[in-house]
Amino acid sequence: MNLPPADSPYFSPAEETMPRERIEELQLELLLEMLPHAYEHAPVIRAAWEAAGVTPRDVRTVDDFRERVPFVDKDALRRFRDERGDPFGGLCAVPPAELTAVNSTSGTTGDPTLVPEQWGAGGRPAVITRDFWGMGVRPGDHVALVLFTFRGPVYGLFQGLGTVPVLFDFDPAEMPRLCELSLRYRPRALYNFGSVLVHAVRDACERRGLDPADVFSSYRAVVYAGEPLGPRARALAQEWGVELFEHTGVGDVTAAFECHAHDGLHFWEDTALVECVEPDGRTPVPDGARGELVATTLFNRVAPLVRYRSDDIVRVTRAPCRCGRTHARMWPIGRKGDEVVVQGRPVLPVDVWGAVESVDACAMGLFQVIRPGPQADRLRLRVGYAPAWDGRLGTVGDEVRAAVEAATGIVPDVELVPDAALLRLGPPHKIPRVAPR
Amino acid sequence: MTAAGAHWGVGCYEGDTGRVAWEISHDEIQREMGAAPGRLARLGVGAGSRVLFCSMLSEAGQFWPLMVGAMLAGAQLSSADANEGEAARVAMFTRRLPYDAVLGVTPALLDGLDGLRVPYRDVFGGVRVVGARPGAYERLAAAGLAPHRFVLAGPAVAIGAEPGGPAHVDEQEWRVDLDGDVVCVTNLRPRATTFERTRTAVRARLAGGGIVPSAGREP
Repeated sequence: MNLPPADSPYFSPAEETMPRERIEELQLELLLEMLPHAYEHAPVIRAAWEAAGVTPRDVRTVDDFRERVPFVDKDALRRFRDERGDPFGGLCAVPPAELTAVNSTSGTTGDPTLVPEQWGAGGRPAVITRDFWGMGVRPGDHVALVLFTFRGPVYGLFQGLGTVPVLFDFDPAEMPRLCELSLRYRPRALYNFGSVLVHAVRDACERRGLDPADVFSSYRAVVYAGEPLGPRARALAQEWGVELFEHTGVGDVTAAFECHAHDGLHFWEDTALVECVEPDGRTPVPDGARGELVATTLFNRVAPLVRYRSDDIVRVTRAPCRCGRTHARMWPIGRKGDEVVVQGRPVLPVDVWGAVESVDACAMGLFQVIRPGPQADRLRLRVGYAPAWDGRLGTVGDEVRAAVEAATGIVPDVELVPDAALLRLGPPHKIPRVAPR
Repeated sequence: MTAAGAHWGVGCYEGDTGRVAWEISHDEIQREMGAAPGRLARLGVGAGSRVLFCSMLSEAGQFWPLMVGAMLAGAQLSSADANEGEAARVAMFTRRLPYDAVLGVTPALLDGLDGLRVPYRDVFGGVRVVGARPGAYERLAAAGLAPHRFVLAGPAVAIGAEPGGPAHVDEQEWRVDLDGDVVCVTNLRPRATTFERTRTAVRARLAGGGIVPSAGREP
């Protein structure tokens, strides 16, 4: 790997700062290569296009693409899988025997879907490398990885950058070890953190008499992902001097990370064409307005998602960032399928998050919104509490109701359950924030 | 013996008093990758096979050479965490695709299947080689399956070549002996971390040149 000078703020300066016109030229070029491949080889894409009466010959410009090409979504993949008996949901565009690996999505919104992979299949820019370089990670650094394995061996990306991964399970029980090894190896970055782990670090430090500020003193970047960091956990981390960077997936196509400007999450537009459209329609929303994220891969010829409706509600801007990068940025807001309208008011999990977390017994921020359908007469919440509060649940319930009413104007029905009962609902980096019952 | 050079990473093993961090060199990972296709071939895993690895990220030092070995042998691989919450994912994999081997099954995964009320046979019945760790091995056997022993003896991976047989480490890399019933490991070739009769969490007896963990122990 050719590395830039250590004092370069960018890993790939030419790509990361290319003018907008060049980004758009490159996207069109890559798109026009990808679309015939997806149409010819990915059965679910072919079926959607045939149903819409579109072929790759009908697309010559990005405007053609936006006007004519049909959307696909996770339900379409699951339907194709179940109706056609294709385990890959019609998305695998290479002969299955040529795959290196078959991994899976997180499964937050239901049964995980299979992700076919061909390692070493060229063309994918090392996007995560750009992001971590920008955060200050350099060859020779230690990097604490706190991850699950279902996405495959992510540590290889860090070894490719010449860093030394220190490996941890994504599990609160690992946080004492994280503290101990942070003091021993003094890592430069942590990937990835979350509210539950923040509280576990605090508890570990209290038990062992450690100063969290010392534990984190070597870190230039602590990345969190999976779900928002609640205000209580964020305040704790910031009290320890931690610079937090948000990270999210971009429609199962690529990833987005905050940079030091902390003004939105960059996604790399030479890897994906991202649109932001009306959640219940196909009209693009203006930059800065809320819309649903729709993503098209520009490099993945193994599983070529085209116009994939992510269900994620975001804001997007294509204005250059203060960090000097020219690629677009996004702000995650919530999931379209998570919204429930109660007494005429739309409620997303993020709307009650801070209120739940503000109650001491519920500081881990573990809760679910019960959503039997898009509309409900009552706001029903299932909220986790710490074991120490077992004998005072009446008070805890009252506090949660009051805090949520103050935040949303709605008095909720609250079911209290032990934190452990919700943690078991994993996947490990996040729990389903919405449940049907 | 200790090797110099840049580290591949810092992993973790279960010692007899808890989890222990171990530094791992690129050289030792490369050697184990080279040996892994042969180890997997003894299980009948090779070109055209599909293998699901059940492991935690902290165990990557033990599992990564096997995963690369499977890839080098022409097999396809899948990954899931080896904890209770991932039971549904493991069940999903074997429901959707045929697997020749599932390696690293833990008691926690079986607890997860119990919680989902999914019989072990539904998940593993169609899998030719089920490599089960101590505690899971006995439960699968009791369910009428024929698992292979799969043991993380600290940093060393031991795998049974046949159902019911002892689990063997790579004898070019490791020597195994007992201190009482505690399995101890010694590295035979240079490593970033030296192991000299290092006590592990595994309680066992040695038989047929391999490890037979004590029943009911879950390191």
